[in-house]
Order: sequence, then C-alpha cells, then structure tokens
Amino acid sequence: MALIELKGINKTYNNGQPLHVLKGIDLQIERGEFVSIMGASGSGKSTLLNILGILDNYDSGSYHLDGTLIKDLTEKQAADYRNRMIGFIFQSFNLIGFKTAVENVELPLYYQGVPRKKRHELAMEYLDKMGLSPWAHHFPNEMSGGQKQRVAIARALITQPQIILADEPTGALDSKTSVEVMGLLKQLNKEDGITIIVVTHEGGVANETDKIIHIKDGMIGEIEENTRHDAWGGSIIK
Amino acid sequence: MKLRFDTDTFREILDSLLRNKSRSFLTGFGVFWGVFMLMLLSGGGRGFKQMLNNEFEGFAQNTCILFANQTSKPYKGFKEGRFWEMTYDDVDRLKNLMPELETVSPTVALWGKTVVRGDVVSSRAVVKGTRADYALIETPKLKYGRYINDTDNAQERKVCVIGKRVYNELFPEGGDPCGQRIRIDGAYYSVIGVNWNEGGININGNAADMVIIPINQARKAYNLGNAIQLLCFTAKEGFVMSDLTPRAREIICRAHYVDPTDEQALFLLNTQLIFGIVDNLFKGVNFIIWLIGLGTLLAGVVGVSNIMMVSVRERTTEIGIRRAIGATPRQILGQIISESIVLTLVAGMSGIVFSVLILYGVELGTMEDGILEAPFQVPFWTAMLAASLLAVLGVVAGLMPALRAMRIKPVDAMRDE
Repeated sequence: MALIELKGINKTYNNGQPLHVLKGIDLQIERGEFVSIMGASGSGKSTLLNILGILDNYDSGSYHLDGTLIKDLTEKQAADYRNRMIGFIFQSFNLIGFKTAVENVELPLYYQGVPRKKRHELAMEYLDKMGLSPWAHHFPNEMSGGQKQRVAIARALITQPQIILADEPTGALDSKTSVEVMGLLKQLNKEDGITIIVVTHEGGVANETDKIIHIKDGMIGEIEENTRHDAWGGSIIK
Repeated sequence: MKLRFDTDTFREILDSLLRNKSRSFLTGFGVFWGVFMLMLLSGGGRGFKQMLNNEFEGFAQNTCILFANQTSKPYKGFKEGRFWEMTYDDVDRLKNLMPELETVSPTVALWGKTVVRGDVVSSRAVVKGTRADYALIETPKLKYGRYINDTDNAQERKVCVIGKRVYNELFPEGGDPCGQRIRIDGAYYSVIGVNWNEGGININGNAADMVIIPINQARKAYNLGNAIQLLCFTAKEGFVMSDLTPRAREIICRAHYVDPTDEQALFLLNTQLIFGIVDNLFKGVNFIIWLIGLGTLLAGVVGVSNIMMVSVRERTTEIGIRRAIGATPRQILGQIISESIVLTLVAGMSGIVFSVLILYGVELGTMEDGILEAPFQVPFWTAMLAASLLAVLGVVAGLMPALRAMRIKPVDAMRDE
C-alpha cells in the first residue's frame, strides 16, 4: 500500500457562501517520493496540504496514511500523528520568536515528552546537519531567511517523520537561498529516504522534484514524471 | 501524553511570562496589591484589636461603676440640683441586698498631689484610697512587693502602692523600693509595692500616676468622713450586668432620697456594654477589611484573566505552531492555566511576603522595652489559606483564556502573519 492514499476527497468551506474547494481528489504517493503539488492560488493546493498534514478535516472520501485511516480523529490523536509522522515546513518559517534556534528545534520532542538533555543533544545534532551549530543560541530575528528555514527544517526532521510537508518553502527566500533549501530537501530525500511533498506555485521549485502534480479548480490535473528535471524546459529557480 | 510538571514545563511558563515583562508585572501587580491589602488590613486589624484589648488589660470586663452627681429631678420634697454623696454604708447595703454581686468595693481619690522622696519630687500624682478587694476590679500588675491588704485597711496603716511613673520619677536608680518612705501632704507612707499596670482604662486617672493607700487611711488623712466617691462592683458568674444595674440604682437612690429615674444624679458606667460595643465594632471592621481585601483581589484576578485573554489572541500563531508540531489541546490548556497560576501565585506570594515585612516593621515600631505590645502579624494559617485561595483564583482566571487558546486550530498558524 502506498504511504499516502487519497480516495475521492471532498472539502467544502462554509464561511457564509459554501465554497467547494476539493472536488474528488484521488492521489497516491509512495514511500520515498519527492513530489510537488502545483497550482494557482485558489486551486485548493493549500487545503490539500492541510488535509495531508491532518491540520484540517475533509467532508467525504478516505485518507490512508501508512495504512491508517485518517478520519474523525480526536484532537489528541491528530496531534500525536502530526508529531510522529509529519514534519512541517512553512513559507513564513513559523519559528517561535522568543526561543533560540535550538529551543525551536527541541519543541516537537518536548511535546513527545523526551527528557531535556536528550532533546538538546538531538537538536544540536540536527542543527549541525543543517550547518547551523554556531547559530544554535541565536534567536530567529538574528538570522537570515535561509538560516531560519534551515532551523525550521531541522525542527521538522527531529521527530524522524516519514513525510515532510513543505508549504511554499522558498516563498520568502531569494533565489540563491531557494536553491540551497531545495538542494537540502533533495538531499534528505535521496540520503534519508524521507517522503517530501512540496506545495508551490513556482515552476522552478517544482522542477527540482521528481514528480509534479498539477491541481486546478480542486481537481487533479496532469501528473508529470520529472526524474530528469527538465520540466519547464529545465528552468532554473526564478 | 499527560500533563507533566517538571522543570521543562516550568521553563515554558517562565519563558512566556518573561517575554512580556512589563505586562506580566503590571498584571501581577493587581493581584499583588489585592493580597497585600488583604493581609495588611487583616493583620493590622488584629493588632489594633489586641492593642485596644491591652488598654482593657487588668480590668474586670463585667464591672459597673457608680458615681454620685448633682440631682436633676426633684424627689420627696428635695429640689433638683442637690449635691449628694454615697457613703460607706452603701457598700454593705448593696452587698447585703444583692447576693448576685461578687465584689463591691469603694474608692476615694485626690488629684494633683505631689509626692516627695528626699529631694526627689513627683508631681501630678493621684492619691487613691482602696480596699484589698479592689484588686478584683482593677488587677494590679505588681512589679515589686504586694497590694493593700485587709489588715492595712483595718489598722489604717500608712503604706502605699505606687504607679509606674511615680516609681520612675522617685526611684530613678531603680531597684526594689519596698520599705522606703515617701511623703504626701506632710504624711509619710512606706512603699509596699509597685504597680506596673499601664492599661488605658483606669478609674480615677492613669494607673501609672497612682499612689494607692488604704481607704480608711485616706478617709482619715483627708477628712473625708463617711463619704465615698466611687462604688465599683462586679457580678457573679452567670449574671448579666445590665440585668442588675436597675436594682443597684434603686437601692442606692432610695437610701439617699434621690429619684431612681434620675440618671444624672447617679451616674452608672457598665463596662460590659462598652466591651460589647468594642467587640461589635471590630466584627464590623473585620467584615469591611475582608470585603475590601477580597474585592481588590478579585479585581486583580479579573485583570489577570483579561490580560491572559489578550495574550492568547496575540499568540494565536505561536499556539498554532505548537499545535502543528504536536501539542495536544490539553497541553495548550495546561500551559495557559499554568501561566495564569504562576502569575497569580508569584504576585500573590510577593504580596504576602511584603505585607508580612511591613507588619513586622509595625510590630518593631510598637515594641516597648523589647516586649511585643500586640501581634500585628498575619497568622500562619491565614497566609496559607490566602496562598491556596490564590492558586484557585489562578485557575479561575486562566480558564477562559485557556479555553479560547484550546480552540485555536493549527491551520491558524499557517495564515500569513
């Protein structure tokens, strides 16, 4: 069975006017894939990501994550799955401003109840992997965008998740750091075999991934195999 | 995963509170002030009550004092405005006719006397003649020697018990003055005791200024005849003084052809009534103290709740991130409530500590000769009660904001800041 299996996912927002965002999404993502989801704004790609990340519920259909049906979970179960299975990377980094880099990275383990010392060691290890150990005790506002995103990646990785969900990971970065961050994700996929799903609207970013899923008006459009990284004429980021 | 209380949790809480130091401080100040006021007022009230009780010290609380005055009503052929005096016979009269009375004791007093010892002078002293049983009305606190006894009185001995001020002025070198002689109005008396009493409630002036001599000696030395000035009596156990006073008044008045309804002619002071009034007064004061204190405290707690509410709204993103990376709603709830408890407790505890320090200062200030006049300090268990009350209030204050924080969805974190 695939790691992620979506069948006929429907989602409607009822904020005043009903808005049918996802109209029957069928999608399979295998373990170890490096996938991007592309679409214009309003296409429903963020909603799809939220559902994949168990941050939001869906109305009908089924979502199996690693063989488990993800439906009508209690908040506690959802939190537990998120904590153990999924690592998040956000466009705006979403680091906690009053915590140092290493404290931010530690946070998921804190909620797992890992002892302080072990937590700290692990966090330092992951920061070191990201080449950020000299910055471990700096606060987010003392770091550059690329550094912040790397802290966020370390935080996503520390629970050793099976999936990394990245929502516009390069959206707030310049092209040089964008390349670095995408390179980092690619390396994680190749070396550690982590399944990575990137949501983006930039062709250049999507081109770095092995598979591009186009989403349009709440439906899956074309699914491009992109192992040669030549979509968009092999374009460079930005 | 369950709520854990360890250094980690505590650090999380401290981090959040210290992030906005001035706000936490100002919020906590409301609680601090509430607790401070409550503790200070209740401690202070206790102290003042004790101080007032000190004034009554050594004074039988069920005493009635009679004092003859000019009549204001005509009676049995006598015109109003007549001067009259109680006599020594009234003592036996009351004693015999009213078996409910425990002690009946007369006194006479002469003011503005000068007491001399060698070339040392103590002026403005009060010479007071009493019997041995007067000690049951106004208990002397004897530092040296003894009180007047029945033999002193029967033999009209020239002995005296002197008050604190008189002693200090006549015997500046200190030590036991018993057996030494002092002179008042040309007559020599040997000192048999020193009365250290200083209560604020006294009959015939301050106890410190007194020179107490046997009443028979006083009557003879100052040609007072059979007249007495005050008649003091106490009721036996189980009798309420207010029930007895009308009959006492009746007995005395009839014997002297004074209208028993003439309240001016026979002035009657029932200390039980006064003590009752003071007692009620302090009950009222205490009630007001708790009302004010708890009110202030409550206002402080509402402030904490309010600010926590603002803080939760401000931290929507942060809480969303925490939720996204695996915090359960319960953990978020726990954190917000803990923050509220810690804030309330820390502020409240400093309120308790501060009030204890202030009250300690007050105690030092009222201390005399190293002896504590009155305990102003908050009782230990009151402080403990206040502390646990604070913890409860902390939970209450944190509840609403925490519930709101719990409702924050992780998706909220993803919305652009």
